Amino acid sequence: MIGYTLRRLGYGLVVMMLVTVFVFVVMRLVPGDAVALQLQETGVSAEEAAAMRAQFGLDDSVWVQLGSWLAGAVQGDLGTSFYTGEPVAELFLDRVPVTLQLGLLAIVIGAVLGVGFGIVAAVTRGTAVDAAVRVFAVAFLSVPNFVVGLLVLTFLALWFAWSPPIVYAGPGEDLVSWLQQVAIPVIALGTGGMAGIARMTRSSMLESLGSDYIRTVHAKGARHRTVVFKHALRNSTIAVLTLLGLELATVLGGTVILEQMFAIPGTGQLIYQAVLDRDYPVVVACTIFYAGLFVVTIIIIDLLYALVDPRIRTGRALS
Amino acid sequence: MSGPDLLRTEPPAPPRRSLSEAVSALRRFVRAQPLGAVALVLIVVFVLAAVLAPWLAPHDPLEQFRRNILEEPSGEFPLGTDDLGRDVLSRTIHGARTSLLIGVATTGISLVLGTTVGVVSGYFGRAVDVVIQRVMDAVQAIPGIVLLLFIAVILGPSVRNTVIALTVVITPSFNRIARGETLRIREERYVEAARATGAGTPRILALHVLPNLFASVFTLGSLIFAGVIIAESALSFLGIGAPPPTPSWGAMLSEGVRYVERAPWIILVPAALLSLAVFSFNLLGDACATTSTPACSGPRSTGRRGAGGRGGARLRASRRA
Repeated sequence: MIGYTLRRLGYGLVVMMLVTVFVFVVMRLVPGDAVALQLQETGVSAEEAAAMRAQFGLDDSVWVQLGSWLAGAVQGDLGTSFYTGEPVAELFLDRVPVTLQLGLLAIVIGAVLGVGFGIVAAVTRGTAVDAAVRVFAVAFLSVPNFVVGLLVLTFLALWFAWSPPIVYAGPGEDLVSWLQQVAIPVIALGTGGMAGIARMTRSSMLESLGSDYIRTVHAKGARHRTVVFKHALRNSTIAVLTLLGLELATVLGGTVILEQMFAIPGTGQLIYQAVLDRDYPVVVACTIFYAGLFVVTIIIIDLLYALVDPRIRTGRALS
Repeated sequence: MSGPDLLRTEPPAPPRRSLSEAVSALRRFVRAQPLGAVALVLIVVFVLAAVLAPWLAPHDPLEQFRRNILEEPSGEFPLGTDDLGRDVLSRTIHGARTSLLIGVATTGISLVLGTTVGVVSGYFGRAVDVVIQRVMDAVQAIPGIVLLLFIAVILGPSVRNTVIALTVVITPSFNRIARGETLRIREERYVEAARATGAGTPRILALHVLPNLFASVFTLGSLIFAGVIIAESALSFLGIGAPPPTPSWGAMLSEGVRYVERAPWIILVPAALLSLAVFSFNLLGDACATTSTPACSGPRSTGRRGAGGRGGARLRASRRA
């Protein structure tokens, strides 16, 4: 198990290195850097521009930039924003909790509803209820979350003259105001996740309900409810947990547009603005953070699987 | 509407089946998956609207009727006009065209690319596999929308660049499923048998591996198509997809929202159609994933090459759950 864990961690490191190199190289391909954009807006002279480039290290080769960034990063220095001059690490840490709170709430809602609907569909398999749940799940999956956000926001404002608070307050400061602000994005994100989870719960419940040990449990005289909840559901947990982990990446991606729309100062808003501004240090830090979160999730899932199923550790069953 | 045309809606399916075979496959699919049939009908309508847009639309989608700005639905403008006096119905129909064009191009290119890479990686294994998969993992580790923003901003807004950005994001998904299936198929007895009779690698890949992974790849293709439509609209909603004045559902949403008080139809119509189009592709994918009929499994070898058929049957059985 230790060997397997080390291999997985090594793999995570390789992937993260690739992401970092990728981000750096691609950023260099962007025509027009942050300095050129400022040049357009404020009319900086050519000498000043050259000085700014030198100051930000933009005139070095991409590999030198990569090297100095890595050297800084291992010491916790992620550079400073080209625009605000703030250290990226601080800018970023302020915003991470905002997005994580939003994302986790969305996932919890998606999981509760999704598992619930999935169980209902599995138990009523082949009936009209099952079909209805399936259609609803697909329907929720199909309305893009930014469309849900846009429509709800627009029509609430139009019909009830209600709009979310303008100034963001965290759940610790003002819970009611926070809930008002995040309610719509959370529902938009959560219902999208719900559909996938419902589908996965249904299929893996059906799989376990059809297996031999369930028949044995039935034969022993266990109540139907016990069979469904205690045995079949428990056996579906891993598949559903896996999906939940992957759902985190989707939800975080979804926050990019929704945070923008609902004026929520999270990492999604940060990265959106940074990409448009070519604020390299911020883009790099955000991308690597998102990728890191994804890789860590994958590794945790892999380790959980290996813990449950020893065949995986030895490497033959799944590679 | 004849049989082969219906089948053509599943992106790159060149089934060399006879007409009657296709019709009977379709009939079986409809009977087994009524929801899938509904989806198929919706998709056909969507495709027809997109292909016949220039003839169906009552007006030119770009023509500005300066005297009819933000007009309510009427006989001349069945769904009203937008802030520049353009016909909303015509723009919506042409929006389907933009969506479908980007959807077909992206799904097609990334399906071919991803499947090729996945099969090569899975079949040859070892160093090739390790290198390819780590690169794919790295691409997949970056959330799609971030990568899309990134590439779209670099390349600038255009239909071609949207396709390029989406292809980069989507290819790893096809790679993943094709690789997984290849790993499974590689170990099957019929591959072993083929190898024993002296079949070369290209022959095994073409006759045994590819036909047997089509089902999974096409099912994913349908779901991906839905995702591409969403992503395209999201990009044009953010103003970095197809550039104005190209009629696109996402752009119509972001432009129309400012006038929602006077003209709610400007955003309701594209929102509804966008969702409906995504819904039908998702529903088709869902039906394909649970079906056991070969209607959506593409040109899989059945019967004619006995060995291939067996793998197909097993695949169907495993997906029946």
